[in-house]
Formats: sequence, C-alpha cells, structure tokens
Amino acid sequence: MSMTRAELQDAADKAFGQSDLAPDAEKAWGLIAEMGFLMMAVPEAQGGLGLGLEAAGVVHDALGRVLVPGPAIAQMLVIEALNAADTLADRDSLIERAVGGEVMTASLALRNSATLLTCVPNADRASHVLLVEEARIALLPMDGLTITPRDTWDKTRRLFDVSVDGSTPQIILAEGNASTALAQRLSMQRSFALAADSLGGANATLRLTIDYLETRHQFDRPLALFQALKHRVADLKTAIVAAEALLWERASDRAMDAITMGALKAHACNVYRMVTEEAVQLHGGIGLTMEHHCHLFLKRAMLNAALGGDADHWEEETGRQALGQAIA
Amino acid sequence: MTDALDTLRQEVRLWLEGNAPQDWRDHCTTEEAFVDLQRSWFATLAKGGYAVPHWPAGWPGGGRGLAEQKVIYEEFARADTPRLLLSFMSTYHAASTLFEWGSEAQRQYYIPRILDGEIWCQGFSEPNAGSDLASLKTRAERQGDVYIVNGQKLWSTMGQFADKCLLLVRTSSEGAKQAGLTYLLLDLKAKGVTVRPIHQIHGDEEFAEVFLDNVEIPVTDRLGKEGQGWAVAQSTLSSERGLTLLELSARMRGALWRIGDLIRANGRDNDSGILRDFGRLATKVDAACAVADQFLANRIAGEERVGDASIVKLSYSRTLRGFTSLGLRIGGMDTQYHDPITFGGGMETGNWMADFMNSYAWTIAGGSDEVQRNIIAERLLGMPREPKSWTLKEAVA
Ligand SMILES: Cc1cc2nc3c(=O)[nH]c(=O)nc-3n(C[C@H](O)[C@H](O)[C@H](O)COP(=O)(O)OP(=O)(O)OC[C@H]3O[C@@H](n4cnc5c(N)ncnc54)[C@H](O)[C@@H]3O)c2cc1C
Repeated sequence: MSMTRAELQDAADKAFGQSDLAPDAEKAWGLIAEMGFLMMAVPEAQGGLGLGLEAAGVVHDALGRVLVPGPAIAQMLVIEALNAADTLADRDSLIERAVGGEVMTASLALRNSATLLTCVPNADRASHVLLVEEARIALLPMDGLTITPRDTWDKTRRLFDVSVDGSTPQIILAEGNASTALAQRLSMQRSFALAADSLGGANATLRLTIDYLETRHQFDRPLALFQALKHRVADLKTAIVAAEALLWERASDRAMDAITMGALKAHACNVYRMVTEEAVQLHGGIGLTMEHHCHLFLKRAMLNAALGGDADHWEEETGRQALGQAIA
Repeated sequence: MTDALDTLRQEVRLWLEGNAPQDWRDHCTTEEAFVDLQRSWFATLAKGGYAVPHWPAGWPGGGRGLAEQKVIYEEFARADTPRLLLSFMSTYHAASTLFEWGSEAQRQYYIPRILDGEIWCQGFSEPNAGSDLASLKTRAERQGDVYIVNGQKLWSTMGQFADKCLLLVRTSSEGAKQAGLTYLLLDLKAKGVTVRPIHQIHGDEEFAEVFLDNVEIPVTDRLGKEGQGWAVAQSTLSSERGLTLLELSARMRGALWRIGDLIRANGRDNDSGILRDFGRLATKVDAACAVADQFLANRIAGEERVGDASIVKLSYSRTLRGFTSLGLRIGGMDTQYHDPITFGGGMETGNWMADFMNSYAWTIAGGSDEVQRNIIAERLLGMPREPKSWTLKEAVA
C-alpha cells in the first residue's frame, strides 16, 4: 500500500488525537470525510486510495480512542457494498457522494429481518440504508421509511430501528452467489471495524487509568506504587498488546473468513470490556460518576460487545470451526 | 513471497516424511531413551539444515526470515516431532548471548560445537536468588588468567545432561548489586563441579543443582567485561522471554487438535459451552502467536523495547495455563489416573495432568509472571518503581 500504517496513524492522530473525548458529531463527521478516511478502501480505479483493511483498522482505532460519534463503521460497509456492485449504472456517483460525507448507513446488528433493520446508526441523517439479506443486497433510499430512535446507554452512537416495507424502491447491489459472498465480506468488515474501535478504546482507557493511578495519592504514596494495582495494569497491557498483534495479523491475511474475523471481534471486545471494567474499579468513587470519562468507554465497550454478534455467538462458531480444522 | 513459502512448506514436509522420528512417544518414557532420541533428532535436524533457523545468516541452517521460521515450526508441530528440550538452551540462550556478546574467537569456537550437539545449561538462579537474581552470591575471584569460582546454582534446566553452563557470578560486592556481576562460560566437566538432578513436580528430572568448589575458569571464557554480567544476562533472558516463544506458541497452535480430539472422544461436539471455551482459547492462542511474531519482527527491525519480551512471555504463560486447564477439564476423571509421562513431549503431550503441571514452568521459570508484571508496569508503562530498601522498622512504622 502506498501509505504505511505509521503514516496513516500519524494522520489519524493529527485529526483526532488532540480533540476532546466524544467530540462534536457534526464537526467530527466533516473531518472524517475531509481527511479522506471514507475513501481509503475504495479502489483507485473509482477514485479511492485502495488501502484495504489495514487502513480501515487505523481509522477505527483512532475513532475508538477518542470515542468519535457517528456512523463511520456503517458508512464503510455501504461503500464496500457499492464497490462490489460493478454493474450498477450510477455506482460511481453514489460512491462519490458516500465518500464525500453524505450519510449512507447500515445495520450493525448480526441479524435483521427483511422488514426490520435494527442498530442502524444515524438513520435520521441518512439518504440511504443498506439492506443485507442472504439472497440480495440492496441500497434503499430513506425517503418514506419509518425510523424509530432507540435511546442507548452509550451516547457516543445514535441507533435507530428502520422499518422496510415491500414497496420501498431498491437499488440492487448483489444477488445470488455474489450476494452471499458480499454478505460475508461485510460481516468481516463489521467485525474488524468493531475490533479496531474496541482496541483503540481499550488503549485510551488504560492510559487514562495509569494517569489517574500516578496522580492519585492515598496512604502517603501514589496509587501507582501499589503492586496489587500495577499487576492488574500489566495484565491489561499484555491483553491489549496481544489482541492488537492479532488485529494487524488478521488485517493482512487474505485467507480470513467471517468466523475468524468474528472471533477477533469477540476477543477484542472481551479485552475492551475487561479494561473498562477494571478502569472503573481502579478509579474508585470518581470512576462511578458522570463527571469522569471512564463511564463513556465502559458504555461503548458494552455496546461494541453486543453489536455485530456477541462473544457467545462468535466463540461457539469459532469452536465449531476449530474443531473441524483440528481434526481435518 | 507466498509461493516461496509454499515451496518451503512442501520441502520441510517432504523432509519430515523421510526423517521425523515415528512412535517416539511410546518409547520415550525413560531417561535413556529421551536422551538418545534428543541427540539423534538434533543431529538429523542439523544435517537437514532445520536445527537453528533463528540463527543469523552465515551460520549453517541460519538466516531464515520470520515467515520461514513460522512455516518450519508449524510443520514440526504438525508432524508431531519431539521438542528439542536438550539443546534448547544451547541453540537459543547460549547462541543468542554469544552472537550478541561473544568475541569473534569465542563465537568461532563455541557456535560450531553447539551445532555438533554440545549441550548448554543456564546457571543463574541460586537458593537465595530467584526473582531477586541480582542478589546472587556465587563468587568468582580473579587470579592471573583464571577465575576461581565457589558457590551453588539451582534449577538449571537439563543441567545433568549438559556439557557447558552459562554462569552468572559475583566478582564484586561494591556499589549496586547488578554492577558486581560477571558472565562466565563454565565447562561442567571441570574439576570441582558437582551436578545433582532434582525431581520436578510430575516426577521428571528436568533440572539440576550445580555445586562449584574452587572451579577454575579461564578469563578468556568471560562474556563481556568484568562487571558487565547483568547486561549480558539480559540478552540471555530476553532470548528466553521472546525468541523461544515463537516456536513454543506455534507448537501450542499446532497442538489444538489434542483438545479437538478430546472434545470428540468425550462426545462434547455439540456442547455450546465447551465449543465457546474452545473457540475462545483458539483465538487466544492465535493472539499469543501474533504477539510473539510481532516481537521478533520488532527485534529484527531494532525496535525492541525493554518489557516487550515480558509481554510475550506473560501472554504465552497465561494462555498455556488456559490450554492445559481446558484439557484437564474436558478430559475429566481420566486425567486423574497416572499415565507415564512422555519425556521431551513439550507442554502439550496430551497427558493433561503432566501438561498442566508443566505449564508452571512458564509461569515461574525465566522470571515469574509476577516479575514480568513488575517489568511491564515499571519499564514499559513507566509506573513508579518499588522503593529499593526495606527494613522491619519501616514496615512496622
Ligand atoms: C522449570 C524451571 C526451570 C528453570 N530453569 C532454570 C535454569 O535453567 N537456570 C536458572 O538459572 N534458573 C532456572 N529456573 C529458576 C527460575 O528462574 C526461578 O525459579 C524463578 O526466577 C523464581 O525464583 P524462585 O523460584 O526463587 O521464587 P521466588 O523468587 O522465591 O518467588 C516466590 C513467589 O514470590 C513471587 N515474587 C517474588 N518476587 C516478587 C516481587 N518482587 N513481586 C511480586 N511477587 C514476587 C514470585 O512470583 C513467586 O510467585 C527454573 C525454574 C523452573 C521452575
């Protein structure tokens, strides 16, 4: 790829690294589009950067670090689906609009019915929503669809239910075998993005926690001097570093499938949960307040764990797959 | 790139078909059989060019890239070859330290002998210097061209079979504890050396104690300068904590079928709880492999930081405990009956109780998990270090 991971990371850090946690949604979305983050995975032939999963990982990691709100993950799924629709007449203009920042959204739930899409970010601002079914993948104009806002604990994402009715016009992106293959790719992307977002958040939470332990004094010394606490922090760090190594390894492995990426997602979300749960505990009373930022990460970690299929689902699938492979 | 790796994989696979020992697990239940097999298998590997893929280019069998090493280890695990327990310290600990600190003469002398099958052990720990390694007391006094060494070493893995020993000794008691240490290469056949094997928890004798009574070591067998021993020892430990784990984690991944087998044999194929635990473990094993790979890549790029190796070791040791515990759990009552252990089977022999107990070797040896956590917290994350001295008065006050 033309840009290295480190260069991308730099760019992402410059864009979001300095900002406050959970920055203003409108501004952040503008910045994401302006930085070209949405066009990274788009092939060069269609005016994109053709950078693939690794670059997406850098971006979602950066967004997760500062809890950037908005529909970035959903939007990238739409863009991926549009990329694949090479017979669609106005594909290029749709892609252009999408990478330019016009919101086109998708469900982040593992399963949807043909009539109800759940966990759809920012549906109220979107022009289109992606419908993924076994036999058909289509883009639906939002006009005329019924949306219901769902109030989530995690305020950094705004989720909606979207009711689809049979008369809704559909822009077909893939059908039949092509649709099955694309659905797998979209599932992989979703899992991968949620994993990257989680590890970005886990890292930021750990940093926050260490800073706190170093400043907070009890019993005439910084808390950071207590080994009982240091050891827990070291375990968290070890879990994060190993999960990150796995993330980057799977980002560059072409032989990945939806289950293997789902396993990565489950693993990363387990780590994120563990880190944020420990963070609240290690912050003591302040960790339990709205004044402190800990809870923002905890809530996003809990939401990430539930979106795109939970650990129970993916771990069982992985176990079944590993059982098959181990015996083969 | 991938084509070249596929070719290598075919090459190794074919070579293993003709050369890998068969049925060794069945007869490797005595020490003699273990030592014979280890020696002959190492010689075969050395001849085939697969004994030391992690060595630098220029040495026979060395100069393999990270991806190539992985392929080789994966194929070894797949063919279920014996793990090189006996020459492990020689090809990793001794060789890495010699490559980094040895003079040209020392390297030219010792490295080829390692390939010829010379066995090394590591003499760092002592009865009163385990986690607090720098407080070791074995003394070396220089007299002309030799050091005269007196003291005792403990827990030297494979010490009873070894020819040579990486020896950390005290040459001065001035200043900081670390500053008085010196690194020597000891010939275990030298006069005044007594080696006594110790039984490990599962009955195997994998380590030994070493007594040193006025042993003479030539000054030319010193690595680094006098007083530089601590720095030299860090190379040895970093090899133990990072490099070796590339092979071990690849082998752990290769051994997942053992748990798969057990799930099938016990009819748990459709037990969601078991499948989830197995799935979670498989991903953790992958993460342990990935972090070992990343460590080696960083090391090759000269980007290793103090504490990185500790992360690799801690993640491996915890994963291995999880691996062996799951085997114990699914194996149920059967694992409680005492089966003979397979010497040299590695940590994943499928004798679950032995494997489980063996996993403690990794949570204790080479710096315990607690010590790794201290290193990660203090060195990598910059948290404040423990106060240096401790007195009863302070503790009571
Ligand atoms: C299988 C095996 C093979 C070995 N092979 C070799 C070898 O080849 N050569 C060699 O030189 N040595 C070898 N060792 C020795 C090994 O390095 C030591 O056992 C290890 O460093 C721990 O030291 P210790 O046994 O004295 O335990 P101690 O240091 O007495 O520790 C006891 C317990 O206290 C904990 N502890 C100690 N200090 C701290 C601290 N500061 N903070 C928190 N907890 C702490 C430890 O983690 C441990 O749980 C081997 C050990 C084993 C088990």
